[in-house]
Amino acid sequence: MEKIKVGIYWAASCGGCDVSLLEIDEQILDVAAKADFVLWPCATDTKYSDLRAYPDRSIDVVLFNGAIRTRENHDLAKLLRDKAKHLVAYGSCAQMGGVIGLANLSSRNEIFTTLFGAEPLWPKEESNQDGYPLHLPAFLERVLPLVDVVDVDYVIPGCPPPREMVSKFFEALLEGKLPEIGAVFASEKNLCDECPRERREERITRIVRPHEIEPKQDSCLLDQGIICMGPATRGGCGAVCPLANMPCTGCAGPTANITDQGATMLNAIASLIGTGLEGEEELEAEEAILAEIDDVIGTFYRFNLAASIFKGAQREQRS
Amino acid sequence: MAKPNDNGFEPKIVAFLCRWCSYAGADLAGVSRMTYPDNIIPMRVNCSGRVDAGMVMAAFERGADGVLIGGCHPGDCHYVSGNYKTRRRVILLKQALAEVGIKPQRLHLEWISASEGVKFQRTVTEFTRLIKGFGPSPMSEDGEN
Repeated sequence: MEKIKVGIYWAASCGGCDVSLLEIDEQILDVAAKADFVLWPCATDTKYSDLRAYPDRSIDVVLFNGAIRTRENHDLAKLLRDKAKHLVAYGSCAQMGGVIGLANLSSRNEIFTTLFGAEPLWPKEESNQDGYPLHLPAFLERVLPLVDVVDVDYVIPGCPPPREMVSKFFEALLEGKLPEIGAVFASEKNLCDECPRERREERITRIVRPHEIEPKQDSCLLDQGIICMGPATRGGCGAVCPLANMPCTGCAGPTANITDQGATMLNAIASLIGTGLEGEEELEAEEAILAEIDDVIGTFYRFNLAASIFKGAQREQRS
Repeated sequence: MAKPNDNGFEPKIVAFLCRWCSYAGADLAGVSRMTYPDNIIPMRVNCSGRVDAGMVMAAFERGADGVLIGGCHPGDCHYVSGNYKTRRRVILLKQALAEVGIKPQRLHLEWISASEGVKFQRTVTEFTRLIKGFGPSPMSEDGEN
């Protein structure tokens, strides 16, 4: 039987997604028995020219991790879309920009100024190094999720995708039972649905960060004032973070019926605050509680800013 | 209708008005023949608590230069606590707007009861003047972005 051709590509990514593939433990042997890795820049040496030589739709599945930050990322996304039968957004960055998408709070010029200093020091797309021409891919103005550049067939969410989801995907691939186009390899319900912590829907009277308290083992982190993105986040990971006393940060993205994950969570937090005071006192107390969140975008949009309604910073004079 | 001393910019302002108080206040302003700028696009909602953060963001995304939310006075909410939720939401939303570089003053929350036609007129007039002064929102078509 002909082996299944699998490609793995990283764009603007940290490499964690590539490593996460190994978390499927001994299942990797099944994968190796039935599939060939025809492209995997992290592990093997493949030239772009080899990739271009493949006929269109000749790679059965390409797992694409990382966001679109440079022209190279962009062009490879287009190329891989052509070469792959199925293109999979693998991990938060490909799905919605991920942590890398937070760079959208700064413009390209601001990023370059911080990194390199004055404009003459910025790297040029075309330059000459010791007599040799050097070409660097253009740095795009904004980080884009993969879905903004090409059609994506499946999503395996997570930062990095947890074992259960990756395993489920390979199982389906090896058995030739890939689901309908558009499927997300995670739960259709939110994280709270599978979190064993007990939720009492208590009013929050103070917001704390995880290191500031010793959270009670059995009760909901939100009830204890720790901002946990569970209500606005897709489950499927088995609530690994809440089980380790850490709040969900939203890496699996929103459930299907949520348009803006951050906005949904912002609503939830606003609804949960309650002081029991009245009048001006109440307003002041609420303002003080909410002032504890000193990075609203970084808290509610840690992984999905590039895919949110705002997409990133707007250029109005900061006030 | 451009008036003298005008910068010629006519902002689009989306006004989410709660049906029990602020929308009725707007009606009162209307039947009392009070005049106010026609820049606002009133949207009747059942409660100011219905206005979720995503709706405000969507308004900006679709070109609003300012967003006004009108609700019942504290203690008067038809649904007991909707307006309190909105008040907390607006605090967070303003901070989010500031962080993405949109002037937080482009979002304004005002308590307007059904009997406060005059307050509705004054709020809309003042808010329109403020947004005119700011110029187009960076997310609108006329904005820089």
